[in-house]
Amino acid sequence: MQHIINFLIKYRNLLLYLFLFSIAVVFTIQSHEYHRTTFIHSTGNVTGEILESRKNIYEYFDLDQQNKYLSEENAKLRMRLLALGDTLLGSESILIFSDSLPYSVVPARVIKNDYDKLDNFITLDIGSNQNVEPDMGVITSNGIVGIIDVISKDYARVISVLNSQISLNAQIKGTSTIGSLTWDGADPYKMSLIDVPRLAQVKKGDTIITGQQSTTFPPDIEIGVVERAILVDNGSRYEIEVRLINDMTDLGYVYVVKNRDTEAIKIIDTLQTNE
Amino acid sequence: MNNDIFKIAFRFVGLLVIQVFVMDQINFLGFINPMIYILFIFLYPFNNNRLLFLILAFLLGLVMDTFQDTGGAHAAACVTLTIVRPYLLKLVYGESYVMKNIKVLTTGIDRILLFLCLCVIIHHLVFYSMIIFNMSQILELLQLTLSVGLATITVSLTILLLIKPRRS
Repeated sequence: MQHIINFLIKYRNLLLYLFLFSIAVVFTIQSHEYHRTTFIHSTGNVTGEILESRKNIYEYFDLDQQNKYLSEENAKLRMRLLALGDTLLGSESILIFSDSLPYSVVPARVIKNDYDKLDNFITLDIGSNQNVEPDMGVITSNGIVGIIDVISKDYARVISVLNSQISLNAQIKGTSTIGSLTWDGADPYKMSLIDVPRLAQVKKGDTIITGQQSTTFPPDIEIGVVERAILVDNGSRYEIEVRLINDMTDLGYVYVVKNRDTEAIKIIDTLQTNE
Repeated sequence: MNNDIFKIAFRFVGLLVIQVFVMDQINFLGFINPMIYILFIFLYPFNNNRLLFLILAFLLGLVMDTFQDTGGAHAAACVTLTIVRPYLLKLVYGESYVMKNIKVLTTGIDRILLFLCLCVIIHHLVFYSMIIFNMSQILELLQLTLSVGLATITVSLTILLLIKPRRS
């Protein structure tokens, strides 16, 4: 007994170090995995408020660019609206269906954005008070941003598409070829579309859009442009390099998208065949 | 003594504020953000309570982790730097550094630079191995350590020279 106590006293620094270090390693491992039991995240009240006040300061330097994005987006939406007015009866017909829109969209401000690590996260200034829930998709006018991960009352953390843990369903526009969109941690402007079958028709300059199978993102959102396609696995599959349309290093305002049918689709997907 | 505690608390908060509000927004060449908060560990008094020092370093790292969503990478790097600091001090200032009752800031610039480089290399190596967490990307680890380390050393040295007391 005496020996044990002596040992503990003699090596107390080293033991404390090993204890703290292992806690830190456990937190790190958790942060590299795609699940939500993390304790260390940036959506706490104090952290969120500090990040928000920092954003308030630095926002002024980026107003020009954000203004440009918004006016471009307005033009795009106006074009769609005009096309819609042409095909439907008029604005009344939109109103009739308005309480059953398939997607609800909430605007949010990015208060923290990372893109220099292997697993990047973004913090938004909206949370459960604004009906944000985990697993909702986050988009901008130029493409996709990520998926909501941890939420608190006023803040939400987003798993950026620039995260090695994420794998998104994507599709080549104009065809039904699908693949998984992943990031390898190197270039914040590029992602790769993997598991594309060899028989797929891929050309440089083709557009990659979100797939129909995803319940997180609405279909047909443009993600990026094909830059290069190489055959891997003995020529059985393509690996396609995609240049993102969205500039992930310069995010100001984003939209959180909620799919009305997520619950229903989930229930149908997990149905068992009985009898 | 009270003065010392006040100084340490001020450094803890001050360095964190500078780190979060200024240094994390630099994004030089897109990814280089100097990590100057480790100056807290660098400047901590020699004759210290090691247990308290370790816990403080851990907390410092954990606060950084919550701001950057890095899990526990900063905390791991900070406690590692804290535990090896006495050996680095021995290496730089000789065996009898405890007796001399000196402060890091009052020593010569060559010693400060050497000590700073060693601290930064150890901290960044541990930090980026936690961030990358993949043995196959060891080249990237070294590249990040070198580039960000150079930035950290440059900025830290500037700050140290600014707060270094003039010799009368």
